[in-house]
Amino acid sequence: MNSYVKTALAVALSACTFSMAIAQDKVISVGLNGDIRNTDPGVNRDDNTDAVMMHIVEGLVAYREDTSIAPMLASAVAVSSDGLRYTFSLRDGVHFQNGQLLTARDVQWTWRRYLDPKTQWRCLAEFDGRGAAKIVDVATPDPKTVVFTLDQANGLFLAAMARPDCAGSGILHPDSLAADGSWRAPIGTGPFTLGKWQKGQYVELDRFKEYTPRAEAEADGYTGNKQAFVDKVRFEVIPDSASAKAALLSGGVDLLPDVTAMDAAQLKQVKNLQIQVSPIMTISGLLFQTRDPLLKDVRIRRAVALSLDYAQMVAALSDGLSVVNNSVIPTASPYYDDTARQGYTYNLDEARRLLKEAGYGGEKIRMLVNKRYPQMFDMGLLSQAMTQAAGLNIEMETLEWGTQLERYQTGSYQMMSFSYSGRFDAAQSYESVIGDKQKEPRKVWDNPEALAILREAQREVDPAKRQPLFDKLHTLMLKDVPMVVIYNGTAIGAMGKRVEGYRSWPVAKPRLWGVKLADTSK
Amino acid sequence: MAVPTLLLISVIVFALIRLIPGDPALLMLGDMADPQSLADMRSSLGLDHSVVTQYLIWIKSVLSGDLGMSISSRQPVLELLIERFSVSATVVLVAVLLATLLAVPVGLLAAWKQNSALDLGLVATATLLLSVPSFWLGLLLLYVFGIQLGWLPVIGYVGFASDPMKAVTYVVLPIITLTLVEFGAIARMARASTIEVLRLEYIAHARAKGLSEGAVLWKHALRNAFAPTWTLIGLILGNLLGGIAVLETVFTLPGIGRLMVDAIFSRDYPVLQGCLLLVTCIYVLVNLLVDLLYPLFDPRVKL
Repeated sequence: MNSYVKTALAVALSACTFSMAIAQDKVISVGLNGDIRNTDPGVNRDDNTDAVMMHIVEGLVAYREDTSIAPMLASAVAVSSDGLRYTFSLRDGVHFQNGQLLTARDVQWTWRRYLDPKTQWRCLAEFDGRGAAKIVDVATPDPKTVVFTLDQANGLFLAAMARPDCAGSGILHPDSLAADGSWRAPIGTGPFTLGKWQKGQYVELDRFKEYTPRAEAEADGYTGNKQAFVDKVRFEVIPDSASAKAALLSGGVDLLPDVTAMDAAQLKQVKNLQIQVSPIMTISGLLFQTRDPLLKDVRIRRAVALSLDYAQMVAALSDGLSVVNNSVIPTASPYYDDTARQGYTYNLDEARRLLKEAGYGGEKIRMLVNKRYPQMFDMGLLSQAMTQAAGLNIEMETLEWGTQLERYQTGSYQMMSFSYSGRFDAAQSYESVIGDKQKEPRKVWDNPEALAILREAQREVDPAKRQPLFDKLHTLMLKDVPMVVIYNGTAIGAMGKRVEGYRSWPVAKPRLWGVKLADTSK
Repeated sequence: MAVPTLLLISVIVFALIRLIPGDPALLMLGDMADPQSLADMRSSLGLDHSVVTQYLIWIKSVLSGDLGMSISSRQPVLELLIERFSVSATVVLVAVLLATLLAVPVGLLAAWKQNSALDLGLVATATLLLSVPSFWLGLLLLYVFGIQLGWLPVIGYVGFASDPMKAVTYVVLPIITLTLVEFGAIARMARASTIEVLRLEYIAHARAKGLSEGAVLWKHALRNAFAPTWTLIGLILGNLLGGIAVLETVFTLPGIGRLMVDAIFSRDYPVLQGCLLLVTCIYVLVNLLVDLLYPLFDPRVKL
């Protein structure tokens, strides 16, 4: 064979190999309803930012699929008998995305940075004494061990650490900062690295080829084996839901992690699409201002609670995808038991009797709603209609979301239709509603007994001992009626048929590890 | 006069934005915010100063060319405005140019054939396009060309600097949508002003001299009839360059309109202030340009 032919063959073979390599690059595109804000984990963030950052960084512990806590970068966690010391043993051979090995010093450095007020870390309040406990020391007795010392026992310590809005307290390499200490780019241990961020348009993540997965066979929530099978994830910023749907139908995106129930019903009919549904931990319901001259009477609040046909309401609000839940503990929580299942029974006669006993004479009750989140508006509308049958005169006042949020924060309302963002521990759910209204006007339930039980639940580490405390809180809440919880939401993922392995889950954030793209050309 | 006017505009812009209820710190931290975290956030954003102090800090930096930092993204506002404005301006300028090139001849034709079937058809089409909401038209075009035919991308944007050919595919649909929407108004104005001009004696004189209808329309009628249309185009341009928020949302274009809407929702005061100042300046500049070019179309008008 002459040299010319050999060269030509070599070139042809290289070209084939090269084109095969390109063809094998798997890119999954995912719709996000807004741009991310920042790449510094847990700093100046929102839901979309958290969703992306949780692909890049990993913390010592993380949420499992069932929202319990499990080790992630740690191989084991030991808690001292007095609950003051948490000893994390680090896994062997974990690499950062710059090739460096993870050591205890990196954990210490990261946490010192998080605990520095200048960082403006979202979750500083959980660990500096304002929350349930304060981290007084982060020690590294050896390169594979980190010991956190608290000022008091805190049953929520690990749960707070794992929170996605804290970016899972993801451990960073010091090279994430520039020489002058300013933020450069995240260097974590996660299955993806930060690629290109075209602001206002898209964020790309690249597969971290030297990712060190855990030994488990599969991923389990934010822990387990998080091996990535796609080469690139492209999060497309699509603020408009109609445009997002159009993008999915045209193949412009492969996955929309959060479509509405109505859209899901339509998309289910489309041949090349599939839907994935999971209950999530958001709490939706009606809040009462118990300091209001009218609503301070528990009989009126109970009358509202008894005049709602919950089954009908939830079926309408969620297109049949959610169930009724009158408990602050979400149905997906491991603490949701038979006691939590107890709730209000639709009883118009009893509602009318209570109103009469309270001397209610048809006075107007103003309920705040907004249209930015349709489920809040629809919940208000249905509540208004149903309570009319009992004789309640509820008037809806539609506000812009920012305005309603301010009214919520200051307690300046009589009644409001509201949804709390997901809390993944039952104590966190109760903490969002229980408190001293003098100090925190946003809290709806100002009951010293409830607050004492909550504090105990926050300190207690043993789940078996926490359960009866949550049962007590639920029973007390049904009696006091400071709010009416109606249901928890659902996360509905819509995706093309070629997407395999994607699952919606209670934490309601997309996870692109473990996801494959089937070859549809065959 | 310009400096006091701009200062007055800056005070109005600053004050109006602060009148919107809602706390940027609270919107950033959400429903989990404790009072200390809120106070810390407000302090870091400079919102703990009095309104007057906030204004003075802001205006001082504006006068030195610094529009501040976005509360949400911590990007320099000026950088954001330039980036986003270029996207909106591309779409708007091309669309208005196309709309003008189509609408003016159509208006002339309709006026020339006034009350004929052709005139009625063109007026009806222009009225229909004027009445149709732009987002509906945009979604319809997306459905047909993006989903059913698959000819054009449904989402996204590529800058002309990075890939001109690809960039064109992303802006074709928004440009077509905007062209159709603005076509109606321009065509109707062109028709109305041409009808007025065609009634004048000098047109009859031109016809009596034996000039062709084409020459009468293009050389004699258009120049005088175009002036009011030109004013309208100026107003449309000034209005649209301030942002085509709805279309940018439908077509996921990273333009100035979407930036402003996002800034309103998140109470991103520096971005909102920057956007409003920019929009005001553009409006003034565009209308100034229109006034300066007016004598080209109507020599009777002196500057």
